[in-house]
Amino acid sequence: MKTFKTWDPAIRVFHWSLVGAFTANALILDDDGKAHIWVGYAVVGLVMLRLLWGFIGPHTARFASFTPRLADVIGQVSDMATRRKRAHLGHSPLGALMIFNLLAAMLVIGLSGYMMTTNMFFGVEWVEELHEVVVFWAELSVVAHIAAVIWESRRTGVNLPRAMVTGVKSVPDDLNLLK
Amino acid sequence: MTGMSSKKPGALLVLILVQVFCAAFFLWDVLHEAGPLGAQALRDFHVLAEAVAALCLLAAVLLETRYLMALLRRKAHLEWQVSLAARAFHDIIQDHFDRWGLTLAEQDVANFTIKGLSIAEIAALRGTAEGTVKSHLNGIYRKAGVAGRGALLSLLIDDLLEPVVEPAIMEPLQKHA
Repeated sequence: MKTFKTWDPAIRVFHWSLVGAFTANALILDDDGKAHIWVGYAVVGLVMLRLLWGFIGPHTARFASFTPRLADVIGQVSDMATRRKRAHLGHSPLGALMIFNLLAAMLVIGLSGYMMTTNMFFGVEWVEELHEVVVFWAELSVVAHIAAVIWESRRTGVNLPRAMVTGVKSVPDDLNLLK
Repeated sequence: MTGMSSKKPGALLVLILVQVFCAAFFLWDVLHEAGPLGAQALRDFHVLAEAVAALCLLAAVLLETRYLMALLRRKAHLEWQVSLAARAFHDIIQDHFDRWGLTLAEQDVANFTIKGLSIAEIAALRGTAEGTVKSHLNGIYRKAGVAGRGALLSLLIDDLLEPVVEPAIMEPLQKHA
């Protein structure tokens, strides 16, 4: 086993705070309550900080380091199709796509949720529907994200959930490394 | 099958993503309209049609994903070979792999071993231990019913040289002879 410091503390705090806040708003808190609104603001704030961190943070946190090209995505799907093992030290290409997807979804949810509190858009149907449909999409994405993390951990032998807790990726010796 | 390697997997991947998005939207709308009614809501034609559309889209996504995986497996071994003979040989190989019931990892290892790569080279390419490759090879030889690499190759080449002739066509010929 070789170990690599991969995720800085800010990334990890952001990840698990977002998990907590989204779960609270989607599953636990009353949709019409004050708390729902405040947690929503917190989510948007977290995403804003993450966007900033994506430009000024350490290497693995930067968007420039993990924005995948189509060839990278195809390469990862090919590895899955042939059961070959290559590990990415930062985000994998498909993982990066999921990150952009979730960040965008959080912003749309936050914006449409905020609009529902304004006089101009209060009770407007398309705003409510947009809010709900993107929440549903985000929930599906979270399920897909968890399934993919389990799948990729098993396929490559790198424990990805643990890396998001400790910040350190433990990579088996035989594995080929990318990036 | 023959024209498959010339197609772009990228376009297929984008199509799958778009369809996943559409399926999610329909699914949300069905759940949204059903609301507290639950399965009762399916009596409404509009809701039923949308539910069926969502399921069809999901089925299409599954089929396309399988197709994409097969396409990428094929590309992984045909990248530099565009000749018809190579494709024909590849089709025969794939046909045998399917019949023997090789796992995806075994198929990959078998393809490499047919190309003459050593166990160490295959292990390096696949990012696994040599022991893993050896156990894959054992599985391949066992399922194919051959003793080793040489026998595996001659089995496949034999089929390429003499295509299997249908018994129905064979019989009249034999009677004449």
